[in-house]
Amino acid sequence: MTFASNLTLSASTRNSWAEALRMPAIVALSFVVVATIIAWSVAPQLFTTYSPVIGVPADKLLGPSTAHWFGTDHLGRDLYARVVYGTASSVSSALVAVVIGVLAGGFIGLLAGFLGGWVDVVLARLVDVLLSIPKFLLAVIVVTAIGFETINAAIATGVSAVAIFARVTRAEVIKTRQATFVEAAFLSGGSRWYILWRHVLPNASRSVLPLAVLQFGESILVIASLAFLGYGDPPPASDWGLLISIGKDYLKWPWLVYAPAFITILTVLSVNRISRWLRKTD
Amino acid sequence: MSNAYLTYAAKRLGQAVVVILLAYVFTFVVVSILPGDPITSVLRNPQNGFSEEEIAEIIAAQGLDKPVIIQLWNSLTGFLTGDLGMSMRSNRPVSTLISEVLPSTLILASVGLAVALILAIVVAYGTRFLPKRYGQGLLRGFPSLFLSVPNFVIGLVLIHLFGFQLGIFRVINPDSFWATLFAAIALGIPISAQIAEVLIANLDKEAEQEYAAVARSRGLGQARLFAKHLLKPASLPVVTVIALTIGELLGGSLITETVFGRTGIGSLVQRSVSTQDLPVLQAIVSLGAVIFVLVNLVADLLYPLLDPRVKILGGQKRRPTTADEPSIGSTKAVTS
Repeated sequence: MTFASNLTLSASTRNSWAEALRMPAIVALSFVVVATIIAWSVAPQLFTTYSPVIGVPADKLLGPSTAHWFGTDHLGRDLYARVVYGTASSVSSALVAVVIGVLAGGFIGLLAGFLGGWVDVVLARLVDVLLSIPKFLLAVIVVTAIGFETINAAIATGVSAVAIFARVTRAEVIKTRQATFVEAAFLSGGSRWYILWRHVLPNASRSVLPLAVLQFGESILVIASLAFLGYGDPPPASDWGLLISIGKDYLKWPWLVYAPAFITILTVLSVNRISRWLRKTD
Repeated sequence: MSNAYLTYAAKRLGQAVVVILLAYVFTFVVVSILPGDPITSVLRNPQNGFSEEEIAEIIAAQGLDKPVIIQLWNSLTGFLTGDLGMSMRSNRPVSTLISEVLPSTLILASVGLAVALILAIVVAYGTRFLPKRYGQGLLRGFPSLFLSVPNFVIGLVLIHLFGFQLGIFRVINPDSFWATLFAAIALGIPISAQIAEVLIANLDKEAEQEYAAVARSRGLGQARLFAKHLLKPASLPVVTVIALTIGELLGGSLITETVFGRTGIGSLVQRSVSTQDLPVLQAIVSLGAVIFVLVNLVADLLYPLLDPRVKILGGQKRRPTTADEPSIGSTKAVTS
């Protein structure tokens, strides 16, 4: 017994903080990727000296090298700089989409699950309707309705995610409502809204977190798809989806597609891995 | 055909009809709350060269001068009688425009679904029986990897590798056999990732059941065990997943058609979005909802018939949809 505990102790001192937080190495790596992406979006100028907008025409369509990590595009702009500067828009729009999905979906699910009765029936039909329209088509018509901009693409993506958050929140709220401690809170005279705020919401939100993280990755993909179709900000913006879309016209110089695609995939993979880890540790 | 089943079927059918109608109304509301007045701004766009009389004529023909609620009523009754209205740009019935491009998309989507199914089964088989050193772990990573790849990237990679480098197909001729096949592969891969995820989880569960241990102890080979015993119970919940991926198949074909330069529903959506041809968009989105709801209705109605373990309780049915939900009547896992 003592031997075993000594062993884990020495292992934990050796493996530093990853062991202390008790996460697999791959999850730690995912956090590193996400931290880098956040850093790119907060302070892109720290990570590259090239301009994402002004290129050197003489250096156009160069392959990846030490000077240009991801090569250069048809206007001689450094692709790495374009990716780094495009991060803020790609990441923050995914964040907007998730916030819309969580808030609107959470609100619907909370009302449906907590009030029950006819409110539940009406809201359940609304959610069914939202689920019945293919998600990407829904995002496309919403963005058509409100205009082609990255922020609108984010809103459209958020709207298409409302249904799933409503479903999960509703299920969680119903589960929590039936718990003994909620019943006890009712019996000791807590008001409906106090109990909703103090007990039901915190408990329900626990399982919404991994879903929100998962949806963040999904939103990056959907917004990239919308940008790819040209429903986001026009160039010289450099959203990841837009970069890939521009790159597809220069498939002879494949890094123009592969480099931004690689960053997109790496980000979504990391986010999904973190979500899975959160779900397991819950 | 028990009484409970018929009640359940009737209830489910009624629900489907209500959802389809509401989806139509919802789409109509989204499309008509457009800020500003895109309809007249599109019509008045000098590039389109409509004269004032023509504009007035189009507005009257589309009923755009009437209150929104009456427009909705006319549009909904038209939809129910199979009249999808007129396109605002080409002066042709929407149903003609759609039926022109529908076959191409149906071919793409059905080949895509077939690719997805085959790939999912191959991957799922590999994760169970491929020796560890031949990359079983890699195969297990297949679903999570391909759920993280935008599907236009898969299309572009396929075009780059097989179109440009190997020259198997030419992008200029998107309807050729090989181009269609690769487009279907691009469409199918993300969907197969979803199916494989559920299939692998179910196979893992089924392989621990007592009957699997019995079959194995009788000396059944792995391939036969997989095909004869494990695949059927593990793939039943997949029926539901496939029905759910129909929406993805429709949305994905929009992007895949753009990437591969095919004509189809996707390119029609693209064109209608850029020209703000609202009747066409309204019709396609509603049709998408109709297809999605109907496919899911069929899946839900077939399910209790396919899986005798599913019991219908008072019009509500329980089914082993996901891996973490224990299926009714299943035996306990073998503890060794």
